[in-house]
Amino acid sequence: MRIQEDKKASEKDKPDLKGTFVSVMLLGVFIIITWVGAFALFISR
Amino acid sequence: MHLHKYEKIWLTFGIGSLVVFLFVVGYGAFWQGTHPQSHGVTIDPNNIESNEAFKPENLGLTKVDENEYIVNITASAFYYDLGKDEEGKSVRTIRIPKGSKVLWQAATKDVVHGFQVAGTNVNMMVEPGYVSSLETVMDNPGTYTIVCNEYCGIGHHMMYATVEVYE
Repeated sequence: MRIQEDKKASEKDKPDLKGTFVSVMLLGVFIIITWVGAFALFISR
Repeated sequence: MHLHKYEKIWLTFGIGSLVVFLFVVGYGAFWQGTHPQSHGVTIDPNNIESNEAFKPENLGLTKVDENEYIVNITASAFYYDLGKDEEGKSVRTIRIPKGSKVLWQAATKDVVHGFQVAGTNVNMMVEPGYVSSLETVMDNPGTYTIVCNEYCGIGHHMMYATVEVYE
């Protein structure tokens, strides 16, 4: 009984990282776009 | 160690991008010859004419081979010395055929100058005591301005010359 309760509690404590995930990916995509942009400029000139 | 599912995804994404970027940079550096403009080639700043490339008669555009050129430039406040033409006038415009491989070599007699052929990848610092050099292929026809992009004194904005890449 006691163990089950603990399990339930720990599942509730699990952090919700959906927002973090989306913002990390947006940042990553932004970095890649700016990098590729600068690199394309370097190659084309 | 416990990692959240999302953490695994963004760590893989991050490390993967890092590997790709490093590969591109490494390929450029080791196979394509991309390097800093001054790679430790020194020159006596008080007597740059002691270097063959910067003797007055060797300044400006020199054709070394079919479609291969060398441009030697002496930078000083506030002037790019590109040599003299047949009439003894100072050269202000260099004309290069499209698709030529050009080795740019620059040195300064006094302070730090910049050397940028605006709109191309030719962009170097010219530091006293060092020879700055960069090799490029001039693929895009047009008229480009060489500008000093390191503030060198009161006449900094007057320091320019022209490059014409023609078809």
